Amino acid sequence: MVDQTIATHTPLARPYRLILAASTRLLAVERLLIMGFMYLLTALILLNVATRYARVPIYWIDESAVYSVVWLTFIGASAMTRLRLDFAVSMLTERLSERGAMIAKVLSTLAVIIFGLALMTMCWLWMDPVGLARAGFDAREFAGQTFNFLYTERTQTLGWPTWSLYLIMPIFAVSMTIHGLANLIEDLELAPKASHPSFVLSAVDGVN
Amino acid sequence: MLTGAAFMVVMLVGVPIGLCLCIAAIVYVMASGNPLLFQSYPLQMFGGVDSYGLIAIPLFILIGEIMNGGGITKRIVDLAMAFVGSLKGGLAYVNILANMFVSSILGSATAQVAIMAQIMVPEMEKKGYDKTFAAGLTAYGGMLGPIIPPSVMFVVYSVMAQVSVSDMLIAGIVPGVILTVLFCLVIALMGYIYNYPRADYQTPRQRIATILSTAPTMLIPIVIVGSILGGLANATEAAAVGAIAAIIVGKYWTREFQFAQLPQMMLRAGIYSAIVLFLVAAAAVFSWVLIFGKVPQDTAAWIQTVAKDPVSFMLLTNVILLIIGTVIDGVPGLIMTVPILLPIATEIYGIDPRQFGVVVVVNLVLGLLSPPVGLCFFVAAAVTGAKPGKMFVVTLPFFGVSCILLILLSLYPALSLILIK
Amino acid sequence: QAKEFRLGLITPNGHSWNKAALKLADRLKAETNGRLTMTVFHSGQLGNEPAMMQQLQSGALDMGFIQAAELGSRVDSIAAINAPYIVRSTDAVAKFVRHPAAEKLFDVLPRETGTIGLGWGITGMRAIFAAKVLNGLADIRGMKLRINPTPVYRDFYSSLGAAPTPIPTPQVFDAMSNGQVDGLEADLEFSWNQRFDKVSKSILQMNAVFMPMAAVVSGRVWQTLSPADRELITKAVKAILNDQINELAAGEPQLIENLKGTGLPIRQVAVADTEAVIAEFDKIWLPKAPILAELRKVGATL
Ligand code: NA
Ligand code: NA
Repeated sequence: MVDQTIATHTPLARPYRLILAASTRLLAVERLLIMGFMYLLTALILLNVATRYARVPIYWIDESAVYSVVWLTFIGASAMTRLRLDFAVSMLTERLSERGAMIAKVLSTLAVIIFGLALMTMCWLWMDPVGLARAGFDAREFAGQTFNFLYTERTQTLGWPTWSLYLIMPIFAVSMTIHGLANLIEDLELAPKASHPSFVLSAVDGVN
Repeated sequence: MLTGAAFMVVMLVGVPIGLCLCIAAIVYVMASGNPLLFQSYPLQMFGGVDSYGLIAIPLFILIGEIMNGGGITKRIVDLAMAFVGSLKGGLAYVNILANMFVSSILGSATAQVAIMAQIMVPEMEKKGYDKTFAAGLTAYGGMLGPIIPPSVMFVVYSVMAQVSVSDMLIAGIVPGVILTVLFCLVIALMGYIYNYPRADYQTPRQRIATILSTAPTMLIPIVIVGSILGGLANATEAAAVGAIAAIIVGKYWTREFQFAQLPQMMLRAGIYSAIVLFLVAAAAVFSWVLIFGKVPQDTAAWIQTVAKDPVSFMLLTNVILLIIGTVIDGVPGLIMTVPILLPIATEIYGIDPRQFGVVVVVNLVLGLLSPPVGLCFFVAAAVTGAKPGKMFVVTLPFFGVSCILLILLSLYPALSLILIK
Repeated sequence: QAKEFRLGLITPNGHSWNKAALKLADRLKAETNGRLTMTVFHSGQLGNEPAMMQQLQSGALDMGFIQAAELGSRVDSIAAINAPYIVRSTDAVAKFVRHPAAEKLFDVLPRETGTIGLGWGITGMRAIFAAKVLNGLADIRGMKLRINPTPVYRDFYSSLGAAPTPIPTPQVFDAMSNGQVDGLEADLEFSWNQRFDKVSKSILQMNAVFMPMAAVVSGRVWQTLSPADRELITKAVKAILNDQINELAAGEPQLIENLKGTGLPIRQVAVADTEAVIAEFDKIWLPKAPILAELRKVGATL
């Protein structure tokens, strides 16, 4: 898909091409995941209603539904970045000259990238993969050394390790940064703006 | 101070609002000299949406998608037309009344404006209404979405205030009806001044036929309420049951719903919920650093020096919220202000948390219709091409009556509490 | 040196734990002439309990009142304090949590959670509020029962034949009134505040389980305090919790009077009925938390 959109433009430097391709692949995966989590959420809630009504309530459904929504939020937020869907204030930018508007656009995309990198850094501090490796991937040993008990915790009713659920945060940070870079390439007019025909988002589209 | 400045700068450059909050929170942590907070930052964002009550939001939005795809919205407009279509300014009344009906199915203002503007604005333009007015009026109709149950904002509030979701949803009914009546009064007055056109005349027989053939749309809200009252589901789960009802109505009665469309509906509902929920997450991390910096405590101390009794506190709250609401409205506004104001309201001034919730929610819904950041106008603009700033100006009387409603709700707790047992 | 503490807890303003937290802040300030101050963050303003634990561990948050359920989800031996029939009355709870055996549970906290436990605070014995008349344990069989979703409680109520149903706290009242569940279990103070009596037909005093909270300090912060300050803080916390425990236990007769005044039948679980339940429970939990045996021994003497 990317190759088609780029074919009509002057040939792109290799790193740009890689970023755009990565962003497109990522978006395709995110699209499937968003749908998947919506189906999952609806199914879980209906299952909860049905099983409780049948007097055989399932204990872990509420928690699974909550975490489905959390993952949905951050995967959706990443996709939103690429689709440029989030609400922004345009009262200043719409009064700027074309060149000024482009600079503002680049600055705001840079803010996305900087936040993505900052969030990655904060996730790194929090999940401390190097410290974990140094402790031989032993969660208790790691906790003893660092006072970081992240890898020893489990969720209340599912009993899953909480870090597996928290993984969405670094994933979000990375994917948002990739989408931000792809947007930046477009904002700098190094590549034409990609269209995303598999997302038919009529209503709020273009609000940004 | 620095945080506020950072927030303003990134916002004016056009950075999405959710990210503005996230970035301002980072700046605040850096300025506060407590870098330990960076380690907790990702978990606070995660925790902001790690809440049972919020599950209702994707489900409410999904109902809207299914309803729209099943051609149910159009029939609701027809139903409203049969009631008030042939009055002077008929389509303006139809707009508000249809919005009221739709509000009993949809839970968010922006989603409702997006759906209703597509249908109502072209119709009104055809009949000779100014497009800007039509789009603006639809934006105000969308106000009813989060006030009349179901409501995303009341769900978020009840999660924060730890009050019953059902109580909060019921509390919105009377204010929603009053607002509808006030809007209709404004239309009557403006219709008289600007000589609004009438819609096509319908014979009583035509009206009854329309009402009978469109009434099954009301099955959806009935199923939602019925499943709660009947003990089948709670307020959250009722949304999923309602989605099934919407599929059944769309599939077997209007016959416009197709299962092939369902994945796209899921996708849209997922993305639109992510927009709201990401704001919730961002606002959570932002309010967390503010609370850590004791901004709410300082504010509470200041408020107590200004407001001496519950009434002046409520009025002060309204003024503060209207100011905040110019920029931060809807769900994020709720998340930023409730943790600060609610404890003051209940403990110092003895205000019922449910009445307070109604006032805060209605106020912040009105914030969706105040410049410079007025999401309802933005959405109406995106759908119709009208200018948001102009919309605000031509619909100012609606803003005025909304403020009157806020004063009434602040002065008379009964308006919010009368239906709660 | 001067220090400003932050204390977080999830209960709403007005709860007896919050009153204790505010008293602690006043006391620290008074005893040190304002050198040590404390701000209380209630209602989970700083996040839910897992989030507060994380902040305690990193040292961003200084103190917390954390429920035994949260600590127990991390440490099985702490979960043992939630086990059924260690003690059989709120008065006994009051004695039990101040017994060295209960305080000894804190020994593993630094290593397992990065926090230091200074003392327990309590809520009263939990009772079942049901939509039908309950006369004894046997009547619980087959009920859809809303419980606090901690693993100990789940095992206990499952062994009684109930179907444990998790319902988020703010929705419990509705779930009872519209029949999503047949009953709920909670302490009397909370139940009276929520007016669960209005949606119930009977109350069964289980006299089985209670939900204490631990006043914990961040291990990282603790290391930075002088020995004198540590002692001062420990003393202040113990004194405040002492009052909280006494007041709560003293308030229970009034709560029962209030509930009796509603006309609901209030039954007690017969001691003889509980032996089989205890045996079944201990089969699961003794291997996980051997300390439970000692807790039972101590509890029996109170
Ligand atoms: Na609604
Ligand atoms: Na606004």
